[in-house]
Amino acid sequence: MFTRRQFIASAALAERLFAAPKESKLPNPELEKLADSALRQAKKLQATYCDIRIVRLRDQRVSLRVTTERGTGRLLSVPGVAEDSSFGFGVRVIVNGAWGFAASPVVTPEEIARITGEAVVIAKANATIQPRPVRLAPVKAYRDRWVTPHDKDPLNVPMGEKIDLLTRVTSEVKKNVKVFSGAASLSLRSEDKYFASSEGSSIQQYLLQIYGNVDATAVDREKNLSRSRSYVPTQASAGWEYVPEMNLEENAQRIREEVLEHLAAPPVRPGKKDLLLMPNHLMLTIHESVAHPTELDRALGYEANYAGTSYITPDKIGRRIASEHCTFIGDRTSPRALGTCGYDDDGVKATSFTIIDKGIFKSFQTTRDQAHLIGEKESHGCSQADSWATVPFQRMPNVWMQAGPRDVTLEKMISEIDDGVLIDGRGSYSIDQQRYNFQFGGDAFWEIKGGKKRGMISRVSYQARTPDFWQACDATAGQSYWRQYGTTGDAKGEPTQINSISHGCSPTRFRNIDVILTD
Amino acid sequence: MITREEAQKLCQQALSLTSFPECHATLTSSEQAYTRFANNGITTASFNLRHSLSIVVTREGRSGSVSVNDLDLPSLKNAMKQAEELAAIAPVNSERLPALGPQEFPATFDLDERTAAARAPEMIPHVKTIIDAALQEKMVAAGLIERTHRVTTIANKAGLFGYHRSSDSQLTTTIRQRDGSSSGWAGQPSMKLAALDSPSLARTAIEKCKRWKNPQKLTPGNYTVVLEPTATGDLVRLITNGFSARNTEEGRTFLSKRGGGSLLGEKVFPEFVTLRMDPFDPRQPSSPWTNDYLPNRAITWIDHGKIANLAYDRYWAWKTGQPATPAASSFGRGAGSLIMEGADATLQQLIASVERGLLVTHLWYIRPVNPQTLQQTGLTRDGLFLIENGEITTPVMNMRFLESPVRLLKNTQRLGQAVRVRGLEGGIMIAPALIAKDFPLPSISDAV
Repeated sequence: MFTRRQFIASAALAERLFAAPKESKLPNPELEKLADSALRQAKKLQATYCDIRIVRLRDQRVSLRVTTERGTGRLLSVPGVAEDSSFGFGVRVIVNGAWGFAASPVVTPEEIARITGEAVVIAKANATIQPRPVRLAPVKAYRDRWVTPHDKDPLNVPMGEKIDLLTRVTSEVKKNVKVFSGAASLSLRSEDKYFASSEGSSIQQYLLQIYGNVDATAVDREKNLSRSRSYVPTQASAGWEYVPEMNLEENAQRIREEVLEHLAAPPVRPGKKDLLLMPNHLMLTIHESVAHPTELDRALGYEANYAGTSYITPDKIGRRIASEHCTFIGDRTSPRALGTCGYDDDGVKATSFTIIDKGIFKSFQTTRDQAHLIGEKESHGCSQADSWATVPFQRMPNVWMQAGPRDVTLEKMISEIDDGVLIDGRGSYSIDQQRYNFQFGGDAFWEIKGGKKRGMISRVSYQARTPDFWQACDATAGQSYWRQYGTTGDAKGEPTQINSISHGCSPTRFRNIDVILTD
Repeated sequence: MITREEAQKLCQQALSLTSFPECHATLTSSEQAYTRFANNGITTASFNLRHSLSIVVTREGRSGSVSVNDLDLPSLKNAMKQAEELAAIAPVNSERLPALGPQEFPATFDLDERTAAARAPEMIPHVKTIIDAALQEKMVAAGLIERTHRVTTIANKAGLFGYHRSSDSQLTTTIRQRDGSSSGWAGQPSMKLAALDSPSLARTAIEKCKRWKNPQKLTPGNYTVVLEPTATGDLVRLITNGFSARNTEEGRTFLSKRGGGSLLGEKVFPEFVTLRMDPFDPRQPSSPWTNDYLPNRAITWIDHGKIANLAYDRYWAWKTGQPATPAASSFGRGAGSLIMEGADATLQQLIASVERGLLVTHLWYIRPVNPQTLQQTGLTRDGLFLIENGEITTPVMNMRFLESPVRLLKNTQRLGQAVRVRGLEGGIMIAPALIAKDFPLPSISDAV
């Protein structure tokens, strides 16, 4: 535990270390010098591998909730304006064939050397119960600098501009007095990350993420009923120039009316129905039932105590697990996707690879220490830690579904449904520890009858068995309908780490799925 | 370890850097050591240190918040300037109340020095015990042993000051057959790492794994269930989200009445259901202060089936003329001190009293379906068994549930002994095993 002396020993380094001009192609030499303290100490302590990540995370959050005070009709505003930052380093070593990791927020050469020693002690202790030594797939040594493409750094945009935007957005939601409360938020994150390894890599990255949302809530006190409607634009790895594309104000007007429609919407009649799932809904189904089960660490039992294992095991490579309409790509290079970067936390260059090709399972997501376990020669670059203080391990990249033929339109897919439901947005979601049985709700639902989209309905969820569900996919719309959406709370590992990634797809149809009536 | 005096000095230094009339500082420092294992070997282990200082400054109802972990003087000055700039442009918070002055915080007993300092030598023997037991049975063990040590200091310009140290530990394991045909789980949260009972946890998980081999399909439907304490905690803790006085009065919780009013004072649950929070219970760490920085205190939410209290934050208490209470929440500061009272019956006695039902080890991936009724969905995991005529007869394939803790407690028929539990979703409380009727299990899961 820290003493006060240690607390204040760290100089305000972060600004200087990461402030080098973004057009520079090489890492800051001062970072390289700091990293050298870890690499030299690890070598001295007989580590066969060492890497260090020096990271600064910044998170700017603006929110505004506006509620009507009962009795007076006065509008009560509760704003939130906050900036968080966190700076520190983590060191990984391999000693006697076992991993060790230690981390500290005090970024000085002395503390880096001390913490490297701690990591070595841990690795030596771990080696006493190590069934087989760690083996790393080969990787090239890179000396590089990578920056999320952007014109205007969102964290440098004046806060007043962000507050003004949210004020306009919540005002739009509250223009209809029947709407009980309106809320909006913006979150802007950046990660300065420097990675160096004993294999010669030295990589500096600057990653950006932007999130926004608008919520409306309506209450019917006579019926004792409360319903909400949300607009969550594509969460993007981008600059501030993306914000106008979010269309927050325009969509605030839409959800203001839709929340009232939702409050009055009749309940679904449960039974087998066809589903037409919009990209902002299907992204989460893809996340849970395609992306997670194709993580190799799960498939091999490394997550058995918490996140679980997988119904997709290595013997399923080359076998059909979905219909021919289903092709999925793992991709850390997709433009504006949350999981896009230059290199992963093993120092592997970002890449893309086919996970499922026309329904046939092709490959798992892997890291350097896993690839050899299934006879592969290189990593797919899926190693990531959520902070300087946490251990990198296998996390999913962006996983997206290929669009269908150009002539498959939303209207055409609706016209071919006799009894179905169109689902928009995220709702409740739950899936078992091998990713077989799932249940998903949504944010809003429309009945489809006789080939036509009808009025809004409520209280909808669907349950399915993953392999049956993806076999029941019979159409996905063309590229012009393709959108990607992100999820920011992907939890995995013990202690739990949180990841942000994007999943793209077009509106997609599934036949004969169990739709249930919920509360 | 940062001492009370050192923390106070650092906070006072931060507070002295602003001319704003109100400033609140929260200094946290934490240390975590853990070892993860899987496939009968250690996979990752870590020792990490973190600290952060969060500053909130306020003037004329406008607040700005900044959190940093660079704590040298130039960084603090910079952070304060940033917070002041944010406050200057923030909209006025209509619900803000003046800062609290000095408070008398009660002593809570949340620290075990040996747990707070434990490292690999104290932890790895537990891992070895479990892996050796699994190897002996030709099974595969995975799990986590973890301890945390946390120091939290709060201070404001009005004279409020609090300093609190806490520690905690847990050991969990999942033991599976090598062919993946069966799985068993056991877990123990403990204030004292020395009290972790790895041989017992290994035995329980292995026994579950052996008994759950070749589970059979059962027709989906409503069943009487015996929930083991962890499964009870997984669901019951979520009921606290419905106790907000504000949300209830706004017509948005299960305690809201049609047309207005609440169920406060009414008997909603069976006589034997009592749910309370007690930050002084030595079995689990809590916090000396509430989310609003008022002195923490014990409070009963359900008293022998009757709704005994609603939760008032400072603003809603001020607005309605009620006393403020600790927050009723399944997460946050109050969550650690939640207690559902149990009874004397052992788990075996509960099982023996069931003619036909299911024994549930624990629950997984629990998510809200309806925030108002608190309907949840999720799945059983790592051991589901059919009980017939008071005996466990058949391993059963996992099933999805669709139920609210409100209906669960209404349908509860009998309680067992209460112990401290920590579910996979992170919920910690003291919970009993229980028998409940008509638990909806609408579909089967192939997952093992």
